[in-house]
Amino acid sequence: MRVSKLERGNAIAGYLLIAPAMLVIGLVTIFPILYSVWMSLNHIQSTVNGFQFTFNGLTNYVKIFNYQPFWQALGFTTMYAIVTVFIELALGLLVALALNQPIKGRGIAVAVMLIPWTLITVISAQMWHYIYEPTFGVLNYILMQLHIISSPVLWLGQAQLATVSMMVADVWKTTPFVTLILLSGLQLISNDLYEAAKIDGASNWRAFWRITFPLLRPSIGLAALFRILQAFGLFDLPFVLTSGGPGSSTTPIAMLTFQVLFNMDKFGPGTAMAVTTVGIVIVLALIFIKALRTQVGEVE
Amino acid sequence: MTAKYRLFGRKSIGYIVLIGMLLIIVAPFYWMVITSIKSFMSIISPTPSLVPHHPTLMWYQEAFYQFGFGHYIMNSLIVSITSTLIVMILAALASYAVARLPIRGKAPIMVFLLMISTFPQVGVVSPLYIVLQHLGWLNSYQALIIPYTAFNLPFAIWVMRTYFAGIPKELDEAARVDGASVLTTIFRIILPLATPGLFTGAIFTFVACWTEFFFALVFNSIDAFRTIPVGIALFGGQYTIPYGTMFAGSTVAVLPIVIIVLIFQKWVVAGLTAGAVKG
Repeated sequence: MRVSKLERGNAIAGYLLIAPAMLVIGLVTIFPILYSVWMSLNHIQSTVNGFQFTFNGLTNYVKIFNYQPFWQALGFTTMYAIVTVFIELALGLLVALALNQPIKGRGIAVAVMLIPWTLITVISAQMWHYIYEPTFGVLNYILMQLHIISSPVLWLGQAQLATVSMMVADVWKTTPFVTLILLSGLQLISNDLYEAAKIDGASNWRAFWRITFPLLRPSIGLAALFRILQAFGLFDLPFVLTSGGPGSSTTPIAMLTFQVLFNMDKFGPGTAMAVTTVGIVIVLALIFIKALRTQVGEVE
Repeated sequence: MTAKYRLFGRKSIGYIVLIGMLLIIVAPFYWMVITSIKSFMSIISPTPSLVPHHPTLMWYQEAFYQFGFGHYIMNSLIVSITSTLIVMILAALASYAVARLPIRGKAPIMVFLLMISTFPQVGVVSPLYIVLQHLGWLNSYQALIIPYTAFNLPFAIWVMRTYFAGIPKELDEAARVDGASVLTTIFRIILPLATPGLFTGAIFTFVACWTEFFFALVFNSIDAFRTIPVGIALFGGQYTIPYGTMFAGSTVAVLPIVIIVLIFQKWVVAGLTAGAVKG
């Protein structure tokens, strides 16, 4: 095979064009992740002359695996991720289906749904903090007016209630985003399929499970993947809304890692936690990507 | 597009879902904005009012004159605009290469990019902190610009490649045959035709930088270099949280972005679709 001069020039140009982007990405993501693995195998002391490393094998991992808050944070994060992503997908699908009909005001609806996405998480957390405020918060006021509760509730004062309150704030902010992804997936499904189903006398319910759901699975899977991975980085919302409390009941893994690294100044164990988190995320992503591929294969 | 299939037998149920959802989305947001112009007594009143009876701009004054909120906005603007510009330039070059030029390993590169864009930031924070400290770059603009660039490049490349691929190849081939360099072709021929892609990439990058909290908190902790999210998160007073001042600052930080996103709505939704289709 003869390669023309222009083509070879093009290939070289191609590598040159992609190099700066790859260099930045590599330097800030790949290199630090590999370096993290090395750091997690060291005892790290911060001194006046910077950080000092002493190799200590798997000691940091043994330490964190015997550290009860680590398991608590990991358990909390996993539970939180599964529950919120499930609710967001269910609600998002419901709203997307409602929006996927020829109704008026769809444009406005899509526009409004973009608002929570643009909101800085820290700001929405402060906003919910004010809504949940026990003495002058609006939530207690409304619920008392409706006689649903008889006295003010401390929404952030008790572990389970604080978790639920945090989930509500999260669902509020993220469901619209999930909805838009699912809506764009719905709009790719050809109307002919439904026409055919109608002619065959299939009910709406049946058409949903036989046509909509299978064809939407890649979109659902993608939204789930992004949201679950994001949920493993959960940090901003608990930092402001609950400070991880009461106690450490709403402390997710990213926040615990932050505390171990920057409040306790323990870089070895902190980095071991970070590496473990990245490991979990990579495994989850690979499982999802594989599942999505086989699904797409089935549909085609 | 006429006889769209309906899960909900009647349109009316669709409208109810829609209106309910819009109310739920708008209500907390409205509450924040309205609180920022309420009097102090009204903010801490146990019987909240839906509209401010004595609207005041004092919290805005306080946010800017006493709490230096303008400073946080400036920092956020510098970091977000610079990062977005760098991302767009690097992404334009890389996406052209991926969409057009014969380089090997395109598929692995794209999968790799997708993986990177979902990495939790906590996974890279400790080495970056050590390197930044070593370079004396903690509490500086570059401490945020560099990681923001890296974390937003993958999505920008992903989106722009989709748009580049939609431009007829003959156009840039003709330019190349006429002796235009690759760079001239990208900036003179391709980019003007891919403006929607540029907008989409730029808006997503800007919003991501504007809202980022974790790196900003860890790397730029001193007041002079705080961005808006860090400023607002650490706003707490000693005994009470100054809601009025905080929401005044928040409103200023949020409204311009909401307006920009609503204006460029079409391209934001296009970006989401690119994610959904390409996934």
